[in-house]
Amino acid sequence: MKKLFITILSIAFFSATQAQTFVSKGKIEYEKKVNLHSNLENDSWSQMIMKTLPKFKTTYFDLFFDNGKTVYKPGKDVIEPVKIPDWVLGPANDNTVFTDLEKQTVTAQKTVFDGTYLLNDSTRKLDWKITNDTRTIAGFECRKATAIIMDSIFVVAFYTDQILATGGPESFNGLPGMILGLAIPRLHATWYATKLEMVQVKETDLAAPSKGKKINKTELNSKLADAMKNWGKEGTRNIWQVML
Amino acid sequence: MRKLLLIACALFIGYTSQAQQSSVKGEINDTINKVSLQNTVISLLRAKDSVLVKFTRSNKEGHFELNNVKDGNYVIMITHATYANYYDQLTVKPGEEIKLGRIPLTLQAKLLENVTVRQTIAAMRMKGDTLEYRTDSFKVRQGASVEDLLKVLPGIQVDKDGKITAQGEKIEKVLVDGEEFFSDDPTIATRGLQADALERVQVFDKKSDQATFTGIDDGQKTKTLNLKLKEDRKKGYFGKLDAAAGTDDRWNGQAMINVFKGKRKFSAYGIMSSTGKTGLDWNDQSNYGGGQNMEMMDDGGIMMFGGGGQDFSAYGQGLPKSWTGALHYSNKYNNDKQNINGSYRYSKLNTEGFNNSLSQNVIENNVIYQRDQTTNSSSRFRHSLSGIYDLQIDSFTSVKITLNGYKGENRGLSNFFGEVEQEANGRRSTREGYSTNAGENQNLTSSLLLRKRFRKPGRTVSLNVDQAHNRNNTAGIQYSLNEYFSGTVLDSARLFDQQKLNISESNSVNTRIVYTEPLSKKLFTEVNYGLRISNNNSERSTFNADNTGKYTMFDNIYSNNYKFNFLINTFGLNFKYNTKKVNMGAGMDVAQADFKQTDQLSKVETKRNYTNLFPKANFTYIFNANSRFTFTYNGNTRQPSISQIQPVRDNTNTLVELIGNANLKQEFRQNFNLRYNSYKMLNQRGIYTSFNMSTTSNAISRYDIIEPTGKTTSQYINVNGNYNFFSNIGYNLKVKALDAHVNFGINLNGGRYIQFVNTKRNVTNTLTPGFGFGFNKGKEKKYSANLWANFNYNMSKSSLFPDRETNYYTFSAYPNFNVQLPAKFEINVDAEINLRQKTSVFDQDNNVYLLNGYIGRKILKNDKGIIKITGYDLLNQNKGYNRFISNNSIQERTFQVLQQYFMLNFTWNFAKTPAGMGPMQY
Repeated sequence: MKKLFITILSIAFFSATQAQTFVSKGKIEYEKKVNLHSNLENDSWSQMIMKTLPKFKTTYFDLFFDNGKTVYKPGKDVIEPVKIPDWVLGPANDNTVFTDLEKQTVTAQKTVFDGTYLLNDSTRKLDWKITNDTRTIAGFECRKATAIIMDSIFVVAFYTDQILATGGPESFNGLPGMILGLAIPRLHATWYATKLEMVQVKETDLAAPSKGKKINKTELNSKLADAMKNWGKEGTRNIWQVML
Repeated sequence: MRKLLLIACALFIGYTSQAQQSSVKGEINDTINKVSLQNTVISLLRAKDSVLVKFTRSNKEGHFELNNVKDGNYVIMITHATYANYYDQLTVKPGEEIKLGRIPLTLQAKLLENVTVRQTIAAMRMKGDTLEYRTDSFKVRQGASVEDLLKVLPGIQVDKDGKITAQGEKIEKVLVDGEEFFSDDPTIATRGLQADALERVQVFDKKSDQATFTGIDDGQKTKTLNLKLKEDRKKGYFGKLDAAAGTDDRWNGQAMINVFKGKRKFSAYGIMSSTGKTGLDWNDQSNYGGGQNMEMMDDGGIMMFGGGGQDFSAYGQGLPKSWTGALHYSNKYNNDKQNINGSYRYSKLNTEGFNNSLSQNVIENNVIYQRDQTTNSSSRFRHSLSGIYDLQIDSFTSVKITLNGYKGENRGLSNFFGEVEQEANGRRSTREGYSTNAGENQNLTSSLLLRKRFRKPGRTVSLNVDQAHNRNNTAGIQYSLNEYFSGTVLDSARLFDQQKLNISESNSVNTRIVYTEPLSKKLFTEVNYGLRISNNNSERSTFNADNTGKYTMFDNIYSNNYKFNFLINTFGLNFKYNTKKVNMGAGMDVAQADFKQTDQLSKVETKRNYTNLFPKANFTYIFNANSRFTFTYNGNTRQPSISQIQPVRDNTNTLVELIGNANLKQEFRQNFNLRYNSYKMLNQRGIYTSFNMSTTSNAISRYDIIEPTGKTTSQYINVNGNYNFFSNIGYNLKVKALDAHVNFGINLNGGRYIQFVNTKRNVTNTLTPGFGFGFNKGKEKKYSANLWANFNYNMSKSSLFPDRETNYYTFSAYPNFNVQLPAKFEINVDAEINLRQKTSVFDQDNNVYLLNGYIGRKILKNDKGIIKITGYDLLNQNKGYNRFISNNSIQERTFQVLQQYFMLNFTWNFAKTPAGMGPMQY
């Protein structure tokens, strides 16, 4: 978890006089880990499947940020020796999320089962509770904040104020800095930044996704709720996963 | 990291016009270095819960301004990367000044208590390649068995013998909670378990153990059904007692208990029945106890066995009486690293029945009629044991040991009368007599599977050693008087009074080692080597009765004694390529097979060597989570069996004589399978299509010479052009307006078969289009209505007999209706309708309407008991009937089946489930 690939050359040293320790653009790589075993039910059927699966599914995402805009998209590929069944993973695992932090709008492209949707909405407004706990992620000291999404899902975020963009993975934002760590215990999922690259962010990197059926959050939510209403626990989990 | 600097803030309080909102302004300074700090974050947190309300960053000069702040209590938090944090309390009142004081803030993140999510149940859905049914959504009558439930699940059909078809494909394995239940016989679970014990039914393609282990999909799949028990059925116990007595000596008794505690499972059941109600598999295994069978193995080897399979059969024909008892135990130890699983079963089956058949053979200018009447009775029993031991040595190595065995006896008696009549010349022959047999059989198989995985993903090695032993002895008398007439005049007669002693034994060992190696992250290779050795003996001694009636005279013609040994070496190389969207593979196995047959009586030795090829390829494209297209190809050469090259003399059927063909070549079969499945998650409807085609070049077919007397001399020869195909499209959906599940499908099957009859090539083409429809609707505790109907039109044409019309339809339907009446009464009606159209040959429609029903009343607390009056075959017209048509012959059979009876039945379900559970659903 604590991979210290720090490529922040410019912050390695700084003068005590002027604090040029702030990053305004670049690329962050997140490692997303989902505990598959915890997502499975505790019956012998699932136990049997569990035996054939690794405990964690690891995927990578890149977040480009510059000038009040961020794009979060699938990063480097990980070839798993064992193919993990889709139903264990659930939907919406390869989201591309464009956020305009100034206009406060989000465009997210999500694969939901057999369909691809393009979600257009305003940014999520959360009541972030700020705590005193800190933690170092990818070389940055991050402060812990917590929030509740979708009425009941507890979210833990670690943000650093050394990055000026107020974004984060998926559609999480609104903290006074960049979210480098994110944990959603109910989904057994974590996102942790592994490195920050101070690269030039091209316009193409920051392009909003355009594929998929256009839909807004309310419409998608009601569509999902209708299809998942009989799915029990797993349906609820699926809705959460899509609506993140 | 932590420099202890304090930040002093100068705060200004300004009024922002009239809007009862204030603004907070300030300036951030490094007090020691006396510089203003840019980009400092100033956050305003709500005092009561430290929720972030507003934040800003200071500008170049260190100034900041927070506007439109509502009145209230806040904590101001000022952070700057390399400076210590600054906190203070801040009360903002409309227009009033704010004082800052330093207060450290500690707030613990508090996990919300989990919100209980109400679980409702859905009908069916796809989970990747698993199709899942939530059983509560499908209404079946109370006390219904799993089989009854399966019958109403869309896309699943169950035939009379309990064979299950899902999505048009045969189910080969039924698991309960992922494990085999008592045996590999599916009906043990489907008939033994009650539907209400299930939470879900899952249909999926079980990958081969090898694929599961290596993680490399080898395309080998077994259609599998998993029955997932309800959570409350996993602890405590549940069971059932059932007793019934009726008219016509019909009775049933059943006791069943399942005790679960953690990982330990124990179950036992006993069934006795004279109505065919049983946990046994009654699949047709007419050759039980006597006959000899040969079976081709995948690698081109031949397995020889005598006697039947695991279980008894005969149900559906004759009147059965059965007794079955079984025990099952399984447990897991040591953190699930050790797993044992054992079963014992005793089964006994007595049947009595009669059987009439009429067949018609057309040969050029002659028609031969053959009529047979048989009455028979048989009795057999068997003790079976099975055990599995699984050991996970570490996360890389595992061992699995499997042991199966049985020992049993059988006895039978049949009386027969047969008649053969030739239309052209009026010749006639009859045979009349009886046969008896008594035998014992035993079987033992064991296997060891050792698997090791390496640190490098995809690198594995596995070793599999199987052993099988089979022994079968029977002794019997064949007494038959054969008379030959021309017109009504007796020409000749012959009496057979023979004792037959059969001993057959086979022993085989099969070893296989498989190594897989990743060539890249996406490309894998698999190398395998196998060695199979098999030794078989078969001795059939026939003795004729001497003058004193003792069987002392050895009969050379009707006796045989031979040894049959083979050795097969197999080598294979396969490649697999897997990505997110595409799975594909290709490869080939090559088997070198050496056969040797020694006729111990004539001392004739026949040897054959063959090289068999097994090419294969598969391709899957995954459109999205619920849609995929699959293509598979398998090819295999099959060498002729030794009996086709050099048959052993046998007089079981005196009307057919088999001649060997030493020039017989291997046949090459190719099988192509295309499948497309798609399920629309949000619309809750799915489509399943499949197309399967097999072609055979150099197919081993028959060359029959039918003499005017009706005697057939057969030889096997190679022909080209044989093929067959089957295809189906199924569609299912939930009709929301009706609140019902509807499914329908079309299928088209056909083929071409070539053989020779009296030197002429006869090509038989068949084509069977069909349509199926299913409907399920119900309301819990009110009613349920289910229907499955199937219509097929059978067309068949032979080139040698073009005039013969063999087009006819068959229709079958299984409606079921259950209604709950007031005062705890209920009525259930189900029917089995089978219609067969008459043809030019069969001069009447052969229709069976089997109607069954009961009226019952629930009794006891929580409706745990029910008393029922059952009527079977209410219309009293059940009959056993079969119809066979081949190119030049037609056969019709009628046989004894259970007919109308009435029965009084009492059922008591008992269960102890964990505390706090509601009343049982029954």
